Amino acid sequence: MPDGLHLAWARRKTPGRGKDVMALSQNGWHRRLRAGWSRPLIFLMLLVVGWDLAIRIFHIPPYQVPAPKDVLIVLWQDWPKLLAEAWPTTVATVEGFILSALFGIPMAMLIVGSRTVESYVYPLLVFSQSIPKIAIAPLFVVWFGFGMMPKVLSAFLLGFFPVVVSAVQGFKSVEPDMLDLARAMEANRLQIFRIIRLPHALPAIFSGLKVSVTLAVVGAVVGEFVGSNSGLGFVLQRSIGNFELPTMFAALVLLSLIGVILFWIVDVIERLAIPWHASQRQDFMLAA
Amino acid sequence: MLRLLIAFGAILLAGPALAADKVTLMLNWYVYGEHAPFYYGKEKGFYAAKGIDLEIQEGRGSGIVAQVVAAGTVPFGYVDVPTMMRAAVKGAPVIAVGVALQTNPMSVMGFADKNIRKPSDIKGKTVATTPGDSMSQIWPLFLKKTGLKESDFQTVSGDATTKLNAVINGQADLLLGYVMDQSMKIKDATGKEVYPIRFADYGINLVSSGVITNTDYLKEHADLVRRFLAASVKSIQEASMHARDAAQAILNANPKGGKIDTLTQGFELTIPLYKDPTGKSTEPLRVSDQNMADTVAVMVEYGGLDAKAKEHLKDYYTNAYLPK
Repeated sequence: MPDGLHLAWARRKTPGRGKDVMALSQNGWHRRLRAGWSRPLIFLMLLVVGWDLAIRIFHIPPYQVPAPKDVLIVLWQDWPKLLAEAWPTTVATVEGFILSALFGIPMAMLIVGSRTVESYVYPLLVFSQSIPKIAIAPLFVVWFGFGMMPKVLSAFLLGFFPVVVSAVQGFKSVEPDMLDLARAMEANRLQIFRIIRLPHALPAIFSGLKVSVTLAVVGAVVGEFVGSNSGLGFVLQRSIGNFELPTMFAALVLLSLIGVILFWIVDVIERLAIPWHASQRQDFMLAA
Repeated sequence: MLRLLIAFGAILLAGPALAADKVTLMLNWYVYGEHAPFYYGKEKGFYAAKGIDLEIQEGRGSGIVAQVVAAGTVPFGYVDVPTMMRAAVKGAPVIAVGVALQTNPMSVMGFADKNIRKPSDIKGKTVATTPGDSMSQIWPLFLKKTGLKESDFQTVSGDATTKLNAVINGQADLLLGYVMDQSMKIKDATGKEVYPIRFADYGINLVSSGVITNTDYLKEHADLVRRFLAASVKSIQEASMHARDAAQAILNANPKGGKIDTLTQGFELTIPLYKDPTGKSTEPLRVSDQNMADTVAVMVEYGGLDAKAKEHLKDYYTNAYLPK
């Protein structure tokens, strides 16, 4: 039996031993946190320096690519306004993402549970994924009106597919030996699902959720482009129209930050949900 | 030997084609009635007579096309000149060599049966705008000139498609658009007439679409620019006298470009806009200094254009390459 599952059982049955395991990972977690933030930050600063150098060396004009200094000035001066606009985008992203998870995981369970459902539904899902959401987003505004709904729908549609695909993969990759053992011990279907199938699928599901959350940000922005008077998508549209490139890049930076923060939150939840998995024992943050 | 002769013959036949200059004109948007003269001129051979093999491409917004011309990817653009000035003031090497619409086509429009005929009728209605486009920036000036306030009506924002959908489906009563563009698209989709309240009728003087080119291209190909503009002036004059044929030229080049009746109606709505509102200019594409100065004044005050544009005004346009 794989180590991870052993520990999971141990955690539930013997709290003392489980606590030790948790305490160990907690200390390691703090250590990794400190190291984890510094390296990407250093790399980011190197990129910014490179960007500035490229502008100087190649004489790139400000109406094509803004200088990092101008972008930083906008971020510094317009911070409260940009933050206020970031809120509707974040809300739409999170709502869309939660919908993707709520609908995606049960959909994957259905697909794995029944060959019939899989053969009818799965190919259509793949087909629908290739439909460019930016083309149908205006229709959402026609059907549901202006406001939050088209944004949330857009975020949901973009984030749905990765969750389903990875959850299906996760549910399908249980070792047959494990299932045989469980059946030999007379476990019923619900017990098999709860004790074996779901924990086994969680690593794959979380991996899909991480991809999905970053796509949900894109979806929310697409929704805002198409029909909204608020949010970072609105700021992007307006600054592009006015040739205000520093503002446009500042909005892009903020959108990326939202993606990073949401990704990190999902990562933290993953850490809490499946601390026993091999991927959690390794020494890098923000990657799995 | 035979092969050599065939190759030689091919080169001879290709001779005249090699002599014509291949030139691309990128339009400000997908094709609509306003663009008829260029298609008409190409079809009638006015450009070929000046040794120009013209290719017309549809653009994705004046801002983007201005940047494309600034980058030198395309030699000529047909864009909203105030938008071009925005790019020019930030250093883009672009210049307007002929201003076509000297009266602006901006309007706030809705279905004719809603009976919204005067600015005061806008009170209590819902207006659809696109943030960042040229009309949304001049809109506050229109409100000021007509005594309206933002609180008098509701606003919804969306991109170009959403604006059209909103009015067609009743989510909005009005949208900000050009008199000959969105009105005709709405008519195509619903068959109903659209009534535009024109900004120009309320004292808003600024120029709109014009032919722009890259300043480096202008220096290197001054003669080509002259020939292009001469052909364009003739195209505009001839098209204005044969509106339906000009609209048909659009459809001959681009069968999905619209419907003949609404394209014709759209172009007919465009023709009066070639005239200077103060009557100081008489030829197509030749804009008066007064008109340009008024335009910059409006843009600096309401369009968020940098004030230094006023000093550099002469850098943004020129009539020097137009036929005498």
